[in-house]
Amino acid sequence: MGPVELLHMSVFSQSFSPCGRFLAAGNNYGEIAVFSLSAALSPDASEGSQKPILNFTAHDGPVFTLLSTDTHLLSAGNGEISAWSWAELIKKSTKAAWTRKPSYETSLEIPEINAMIINPKDNSLIVGGGDNNIHIMDMETGIFKSVLKGHTDYIHCLCFKEREGEILSGGEDGAVRIWDSRTNRPVHCIEVFRYEECARPQFGKWISCLATDSDWMLCGGGPSLSLWHLRSMSPTSVFPLPGCQREAVFHQDLIMSVGEGPYVSHCLHGGTVKAQIPCTPSSLNTLALNLKNTEHRVMTVGGSSHQIDVFTNFSYRAFSLSF
Amino acid sequence: MSIKFFRIVQCAFWRMGSVTDDEVIRKRLLIDGDGAGDDRRINVLMKSFTKWCHSNFSPEEGFSQYQRMLTSLAQCEFSMGKTLLVYDMNLKEMENYEAIYADIERSITSAHEKIAECKKEIQRAKRIRKNRQEYDALARVIKQHPDRHETLKQLEALDRELQQLSHIKENVEDKLELRKKQFHVLLTTIQELQQTLENDEKMESDDTQESSMENGD
Repeated sequence: MGPVELLHMSVFSQSFSPCGRFLAAGNNYGEIAVFSLSAALSPDASEGSQKPILNFTAHDGPVFTLLSTDTHLLSAGNGEISAWSWAELIKKSTKAAWTRKPSYETSLEIPEINAMIINPKDNSLIVGGGDNNIHIMDMETGIFKSVLKGHTDYIHCLCFKEREGEILSGGEDGAVRIWDSRTNRPVHCIEVFRYEECARPQFGKWISCLATDSDWMLCGGGPSLSLWHLRSMSPTSVFPLPGCQREAVFHQDLIMSVGEGPYVSHCLHGGTVKAQIPCTPSSLNTLALNLKNTEHRVMTVGGSSHQIDVFTNFSYRAFSLSF
Repeated sequence: MSIKFFRIVQCAFWRMGSVTDDEVIRKRLLIDGDGAGDDRRINVLMKSFTKWCHSNFSPEEGFSQYQRMLTSLAQCEFSMGKTLLVYDMNLKEMENYEAIYADIERSITSAHEKIAECKKEIQRAKRIRKNRQEYDALARVIKQHPDRHETLKQLEALDRELQQLSHIKENVEDKLELRKKQFHVLLTTIQELQQTLENDEKMESDDTQESSMENGD
């Protein structure tokens, strides 16, 4: 990995292992690197512990999304989904457990997969990507059981509401669609760019980040990052963040979001930006919180750099892992 | 003198075959550092006592020797008293330290508990803050919509107006019907009158025609 390649590397996705002691990150060269958090966070950590314990090429194209189940790490890039067993990865074996492709209508070009989430109720994998459709795959059998059609342009992000069992999807066409996971029918369609307070026509209408917290939803991208109340389908607060936000999460009483700009923004539900914490990459693509393990409770962000910043106290950057 | 003592004790121990002789000797030397003086004093006292008992001194010399022995005995007693006091003092210090240690332990555990409490408190406060923020956000949205009472009042006023207007419309329609009927009656009477007049005229002309025809015959 020469210096030029390191310079042009972007980290697109991250995922923590089920035990919470390892972090997997995917970049634009199709590589997945596994970092050991327990080594990096231990008191006698050194330069070497900030390097990956395992680095392998998983896909031909960029790894856009990573997802961890209880036993496996799922990665998706150009049209195919691969699963790697975490136990094998920790032992540094890079053999995929399985590789599957959703059934696409045209076989001419393989659309990329941008987002994956798990529906824990019926153990199914929900995948959205470049063919404007959402594919649902049953995890046990591996069969793609249904397709949700409705978006008119590719899908950027997916989200799942556990209580009602609804899938939310945001896409390039600017619409956030809500689907019922049991009947696979669309329930609502919110076109965020039609609301004046959120819309930013200079950036476009695409929605690149979605997060949900029972009755509330965050969405952003071209339009400003805004907090929506889903029962009344109305935007309640709009956050005055200058760039386009690529990922946002709810955490306790704060909303954390990353996007254009070398900082992590901490916002309150009322619409105020409480803090902006600087980071090394010049713009950020992914934010991940490790809440499964109380000892290694960290937040990691990655973006247009080969370094992944680690925050032990969410208010300042502790150190960086590098590819 | 102390080195000689050390060597003597070492030889004794080697003969006895004790394993930790160095340790014991070192410890003994450390504690008993000044003990060479006391030991020596006791030995000297013993020697001088036996010498005093056995030899023939002149009464003054004997008396002075006796005084000297008494002083050295007093000195020995004094140093013994001192070491006993020091021993007591050390015991009391140990107790004091134990007490302080236990106290610190207790305060550490209570501090730990307080920290845990505060952490729980902070979680609660964060939840409360989140709920307040959500409430505020919803309240802002709701405020944008007009007040319900106002809207109801407006609706009532409009209802009343509507009723009034429909009432007026009914009245006007009734009047229209009435006038229509009256005009109809008027027109029919005129027509009938016309008809009767025409009939009358016709009958009259018929009559004159008949009379002229009769006259012509």
